[in-house]
Amino acid sequence: MTRRTARELASAVRARQRTATAVVEETLAAIAARNGAINAFTAVAKERALAAAAAVDAAVGAGRDPGPLAGVPFAVKNLYDVAGLPTIAGSHIDRDRAPAAEDAALARRLTAAGAVLVGALNMDEYAFGFSTENTHHGPTRNPHDPARIAGGSSGGSAAAVAAGLVPLTLGSDTNGSIRVPAALCGVFGLRPTIGRLSRAGMRLFAASLDVGGPLARTAGDLALAYDAMQGPDPADPACASKPPEPTLPLLARGVEGLRIAVAAGYYASQGAPEAFAAVERVASALGASERVELPSPGAARGAAMIMTSVEGAELHFQDLIARAQDFDPKTRARFLAGALAPGVWYAHAQRVRRWYCREMAKTFANVDVVLAPATPYPGFPIGQAWIEIAGQRLPAAGHLGVFTQPLSFAGLPTVAAPVADCGPLPLGVQIIAAPWREDLVLRTAAAAEALGAVASPSPV
Amino acid sequence: MADPFDPAHYVPEAAAAVGLTIAPADLGDVTQAFAVLARVAAQLMAIPLPEETVAAAVFIPDDGAGR
Repeated sequence: MTRRTARELASAVRARQRTATAVVEETLAAIAARNGAINAFTAVAKERALAAAAAVDAAVGAGRDPGPLAGVPFAVKNLYDVAGLPTIAGSHIDRDRAPAAEDAALARRLTAAGAVLVGALNMDEYAFGFSTENTHHGPTRNPHDPARIAGGSSGGSAAAVAAGLVPLTLGSDTNGSIRVPAALCGVFGLRPTIGRLSRAGMRLFAASLDVGGPLARTAGDLALAYDAMQGPDPADPACASKPPEPTLPLLARGVEGLRIAVAAGYYASQGAPEAFAAVERVASALGASERVELPSPGAARGAAMIMTSVEGAELHFQDLIARAQDFDPKTRARFLAGALAPGVWYAHAQRVRRWYCREMAKTFANVDVVLAPATPYPGFPIGQAWIEIAGQRLPAAGHLGVFTQPLSFAGLPTVAAPVADCGPLPLGVQIIAAPWREDLVLRTAAAAEALGAVASPSPV
Repeated sequence: MADPFDPAHYVPEAAAAVGLTIAPADLGDVTQAFAVLARVAAQLMAIPLPEETVAAAVFIPDDGAGR
């Protein structure tokens, strides 16, 4: 199967060198042949994909603009509405839910740009996890080592791209659920600023923190998809009324003039040495030698945990009362615990967030971009419950979010990029900027890619 | 008097009070999960904030334009 990028495929379709139908048929054949080894897809929408591809080809044939993503196959985490499918969000409970009447807003925007939706992807139940070891639907396996986790909760989204089944997917990120699996599977993932992209038609986990975003094998593909999805949406009350700010035209600007620093302290401990060495290689390539201490990461992570647990439990409270045994054993105890948290914890966490964001803003008065590890270690074997780091026994999946949670708590736009030459198991670097500066994180990712410091590795 | 946030004491009492049934086989895991929350909450509650620091969540009245 090809590992052509979305940009290459769209370019070929637009130039009439390939038909969208041929691209989609090849994609469907690849999924049929190879998904079984990694368990990324939970549903394949063959008929609608072929019909959509035919419509793209008809547009090309009629001389109409088929859109910047013409004929690009994409798939979505199964918490996104897909017309005709129940939106299960990784659960067993919702398998009998009525099929969605229409696609989620972000899927509709990609489709309007010519992309072709081919299916839905595995995830941790209700997005409450970092490993996609889903008991109901089976674990998603890391294409670089099928005995290991793909990361989560958007594990299917990352594994499908890493395996070359599709060039583009959508995931969602509450505390790291795009960035963690992107890092462990060796692909690029963008967590946009909270409020940048519409969440209409997505089943949320913790609304204060959730965002949707793309995963792909290049920074350019992230930008292409992100640009197509921008813009206000009255159907999502949390979506900002900002006009689109295209990033693709800015990618070639490089990093000249940008002040890039490496996160120190908390972000340089609590992980395996190779995770920090990977960040240092990217920093060195970008000429970033300055260190910066980001404010109160431990408090931010704790507050994010409280908010996530409480908001998630509230969304599923009736099912927790009526049918707790139908939850995945991997999530059940944490949802139940969240339902019992005193309200003062939650309210205080929301006030801590205000204080924390103001402290974080001071950092970005002095630097433009910050680099930090995406995860503390590479993907671990499926089923491993604990891991020892610096003499501490830690929950192997839960600790994966140690470096992502404090950053999303501030709502910052972040790219997780795969660091080049990490050996057989991928690792990622987070590229972080101030709110609404997706242009800077995408530019920096593209520059690091051009320098060879980050690159999406092919599974052997 | 028992510490109200002693998870082993609090979890079964609070669950019963809000109508949640925790299966005996799950009680240990739920208590452990709650203990993690209680530990981070204790650190969080120790952060002093001035009264004028308002919650980060912002309420925007709905004008009916959305769905």
